[in-house]
Amino acid sequence: PLPPTRYKPPATETNPALEDPTPDYMNLLGMVFSMCGLMLKLKWCAWIAVYCSFISFANSRSSEDTKQMMSSFMLSISAVVMSYLQNPQPMSPPW
Amino acid sequence: MKNLYIFIAVLFIPWSFSLAKYDEFEDGDDIMEYDDNDFAEFEDVSEDTVTESPQRVITTEDDEEEATVEVEGQDENQEDFDDADTQEGDTESEPYDDEEFEGYEEKPDASHSKNKDPITIVNVPAHLQNSWESYYMEILMVTGLLAYIMNYIIGKNKNNRLAHAWFNTHRELLESNFALVGDDGTNKEATSTGKLNQENEHIYNLWCSGRVCCEGMLIQLKFLKRQDLLNVLARMMRPASDQVQIKVTMNDEDMDTYVFAVGTRKALVRLQKEMQDLSEFCSDKPKSGAKYGLPDSLAILSEMGEVTEGMMDAKMIHFLTHYADKIDSVQFSDQFSGPKLMQEEGQLTKLPETKKTLLFTFNVPGSGNTSPKDMESLLPLMSMVIYSIDKAKKFRLNREGKQKADKNRARVEENFLKLTHVQRQEAAQSRREEKKRAEKERIMNEEDPEKQRRLEEAALRREQKKLEKKQMKMKQIKVKAM
Repeated sequence: PLPPTRYKPPATETNPALEDPTPDYMNLLGMVFSMCGLMLKLKWCAWIAVYCSFISFANSRSSEDTKQMMSSFMLSISAVVMSYLQNPQPMSPPW
Repeated sequence: MKNLYIFIAVLFIPWSFSLAKYDEFEDGDDIMEYDDNDFAEFEDVSEDTVTESPQRVITTEDDEEEATVEVEGQDENQEDFDDADTQEGDTESEPYDDEEFEGYEEKPDASHSKNKDPITIVNVPAHLQNSWESYYMEILMVTGLLAYIMNYIIGKNKNNRLAHAWFNTHRELLESNFALVGDDGTNKEATSTGKLNQENEHIYNLWCSGRVCCEGMLIQLKFLKRQDLLNVLARMMRPASDQVQIKVTMNDEDMDTYVFAVGTRKALVRLQKEMQDLSEFCSDKPKSGAKYGLPDSLAILSEMGEVTEGMMDAKMIHFLTHYADKIDSVQFSDQFSGPKLMQEEGQLTKLPETKKTLLFTFNVPGSGNTSPKDMESLLPLMSMVIYSIDKAKKFRLNREGKQKADKNRARVEENFLKLTHVQRQEAAQSRREEKKRAEKERIMNEEDPEKQRRLEEAALRREQKKLEKKQMKMKQIKVKAM
């Protein structure tokens, strides 16, 4: 039996903050690492920042702002580029 | 070739000491053409020696003979460079030193000993080498990034395929039962989009509505995060499976008041801790379902025995036994308000809103390595959902059960009120104080003195009345106590 149609779904998640904070954490981490890489001229910081921003992008919700993602991504890329311009030596492994 | 360059570099040092004055930099430049990188460092060295050597040059110039010999010495060395013969250079530098630096016995000795000591070959800095090998860490990093991107694309596509496979299998059943299948909330009218709503790269939603008894049904396909490489690696340690979560919101009149759950023991224990309604109404530990013929893996949480009896009819038991491996949890609740909210005590002044809901969580078989074909095996579970909706509508508690249920709910509400009593009192107190303050301000702001007086009198009268009331109450209580 197919009776009256109902209304549309409510904003499907009332509290999106409850679920999965990963993209936000990764975004923040990425920014922190890229600032460290830029200020302290540490190459490995800059590379980790790039990874963080990629992970944040992969985990992000579709409703999230792309501008935020792009800005963190650009920041991390610029950190890597600046570290290499200032010091073209290759990265040395920690061991 | 490398050895040659190194030798040339080493010889360049004493050569430049004596040649600074003679503008030898042009020759030096010629030689540098062989390999700019290698000699880049030594440009500085030669410049430094320019500043040092003037002393020497001046003293050596004292003797013209020495100067001429110098020139000869240079020519000899030049020939050496042209010939690119290492051995000759070594032998000829010795007489050169002895003849030239007569006054400087230490230095010739030093340079002499230099020739005897093993030549320390300085490592050319890595970034000046023309090889990619020194950048192996960077190459590793870039490879890692590429791997991540590849995994993202592959994972995203797989999740997409799984979701659409699920939808294609279930489409018919849903469309026959619901008038509205698929809605993303953007249209003004309620029209079926017939498509899944993608929330994430691993979460897909579907809203179905338009059926007797229920307001609507929200289906969430919660896949594993195949698009995130870190997650993929973590899953290798700890296997997990995709989940399908179905939440049916019932109409108020279509469901009686009870709380009931059945599922795997682990899931029930977790839900009992997390869910507000299960923790409040189902205080016992999950009981084994063996009494009703369910497999051992499943357990039951219920508000009262009567509910369990009512729910566990033949068809339900059939469903549960056959698909026990796919069922994670099934929860029927009229007091559903989601997971317990972690709020500070001060904020909790009202009970959270409750809705009559049926909540189903199914595990997709395959434990992570699912293929689109596995989605077909979930179809009978959807039939179970539809059956449960109808059952929930039909099932009614008898009088005793209803009384018990009402008592339970009253008890829960009372507990809640007690907990928040203090907070509510404080809130009321602060509200009263605010009112008083507002009144006083009004009186103060009143310019007309007459009005001021009148308002003050009115306030005084009100206060007196309140005091009287309180005294009356106290008297009454005293009388009652007596």
